[in-house]
Amino acid sequence: MSNVQDFEEKERERKVRRKVFYLTFATLALIFGGFLLWKLSSLILPIIVGCLLALAFRPVKERFRIRWLPHEIQVLCSFAAIGVVLFFAFNTFRKHIPDEEQKLEFKVRLQYKLNERYRQLVAKSPEGKANAVAALLEKELGPLMDKINQVLTLNAEERNLFLKYAAGYNGKPPIQSKFVDYFRANQTTGKYVIPEETPAGTASPTAPAAPTQPPAAEEGTSLESKFSAWILAPLIFLFLGFDNGQIRRFFISLVPNRYFELSLTVLDRLDDAIGRYLRGTLIECFLVGLTLALGLILLGIPPGIAVAIGVVSGLLNAIPFLGAVIALVIGVSYALIAEDVRPLIPGLNPNDLALYVVILVVIAHVLDDVVFQPFVLGGAVNVHPLVVVIAIIAGSLIMGLWGMLFAIPTVVVVKTAVETFFKELKDYRII
Amino acid sequence: MSARKFAADKLLWETLGRWKRSSPELDRIQFLKTVPFFDQLSNRQLKRVSDITFERTYQTDELIFEEGQPGAALFLILDGKIAIEVCRETSTTRLAVLEKGAFFGEMALLDDTPRSATARALERTRTLALYRNDLNGLVYRHPRTACRIYRSLATMIGDRLRSTNELVQMKTPADTAGLG
Repeated sequence: MSNVQDFEEKERERKVRRKVFYLTFATLALIFGGFLLWKLSSLILPIIVGCLLALAFRPVKERFRIRWLPHEIQVLCSFAAIGVVLFFAFNTFRKHIPDEEQKLEFKVRLQYKLNERYRQLVAKSPEGKANAVAALLEKELGPLMDKINQVLTLNAEERNLFLKYAAGYNGKPPIQSKFVDYFRANQTTGKYVIPEETPAGTASPTAPAAPTQPPAAEEGTSLESKFSAWILAPLIFLFLGFDNGQIRRFFISLVPNRYFELSLTVLDRLDDAIGRYLRGTLIECFLVGLTLALGLILLGIPPGIAVAIGVVSGLLNAIPFLGAVIALVIGVSYALIAEDVRPLIPGLNPNDLALYVVILVVIAHVLDDVVFQPFVLGGAVNVHPLVVVIAIIAGSLIMGLWGMLFAIPTVVVVKTAVETFFKELKDYRII
Repeated sequence: MSARKFAADKLLWETLGRWKRSSPELDRIQFLKTVPFFDQLSNRQLKRVSDITFERTYQTDELIFEEGQPGAALFLILDGKIAIEVCRETSTTRLAVLEKGAFFGEMALLDDTPRSATARALERTRTLALYRNDLNGLVYRHPRTACRIYRSLATMIGDRLRSTNELVQMKTPADTAGLG
């Protein structure tokens, strides 16, 4: 009898020791984890991107399995195939990223075209009388145009460079004469709103401040560290591709027996819901990008530019509300400077291209809301619009553009995790 | 057995042989060979099954699953003893005691309907658990293996249904006589 009591006593002591050990270990792990998160915050985003990509592409890996080929070689082959596709996509896209000369040309062209449009908008009648609407527009848009001109006007260095390119520089042919004319016209563009007299000796508040250039060495180091951090994303994608369930088995092995089946079910449902959401979002972005690209081609925009705008707008479509606005800004900006446009749809006036682009973006996003989203996502993950707005603002405050891009997937992950976890805890009668 | 399959099995056993003789993987595969549920599988297929199983150890009196909980996995007893019990209001009825090589909770491989009984470890017990969705995943990756497991499951359920029918038929005449 005393032996049994001794055993029970020892077991009780062991339970207490075990609790103290787990508590100490969990506290230390939390402190260490928090310290690592704080110190290695630049690695978080590449790790998340790598994990999400692996999750999104997993069905592809599972479905296109060749039974006689070793798993590792299959993963390497699929990784190489994705790499080749991305390389060609990036290469095509890069061709449309303007170089130094094209940037100068673009600025000159944009400034000239915007001023031209503005002057057309507020033009007075041949008798010299302005109508009330034009006067109102002039009053409201004048200061804005001055600010735009201030941003787009080439500084001394850029002016010299433009003149060099105009005459043929760096092995490149001379810039087209019409752009040189635009440049000259821009030089003579004055202010639309005459500023009030400022006391002598006081600097104009609108005078452009001298741009502060970060030291080259510092910029190089930051780029290098960013590059080395982003190398993690494909590596994580690759190694998660190699994983044959070992990571899940490891985490499941840490779970107490009581929660074994529960944790398997929760993990599985989470994995399924998040994977479906990610793949759905990717397909939805692709469809929106495709619609915009095809629409722009029909409006007469060169296919290369149309595809580039489609790709950017499609990717940014992952940011609710803001994605559509950015697509609109990019599309309309190009429409304003586009020249010699010949729409493929008969009856369209090339001078109203900007208006057609606005209509196209609206059509693309109505299609997205009415057809693509219900068809692809199926309303599987419903998030309240207010939560969406708050999440996007919070994401932008924490991590800028990337934060905005990942705000909604993060909300979806947390929402699905909490919902699934509580449902299963109730089903397993734990709570 | 085809020459290709024979060569593949030989390669597998040679690879396994290069590892320690008492490697847990080898032990697990040899154990699975003794379970009637997997008796139609080749060594290579058994390795695939072994790769998706989870080993769990339960202490004396610890519950493996409870009656009424959603089922998610089939359990195979590696060693130890398990009691299958049903709780009815005030009493608990022990339906069976299972030992090494036996399996239980197989209906969980079909759907997540609630467990019909409670499984309790009578001594320190090691089990192998096969999760339903992992078996479903095997359908895409290795359809033949999954097909054989499902066939075993179907055969086993069919046998049980047959024996239940026989039991009902044996009881029915007596009951009818009693009514008369």
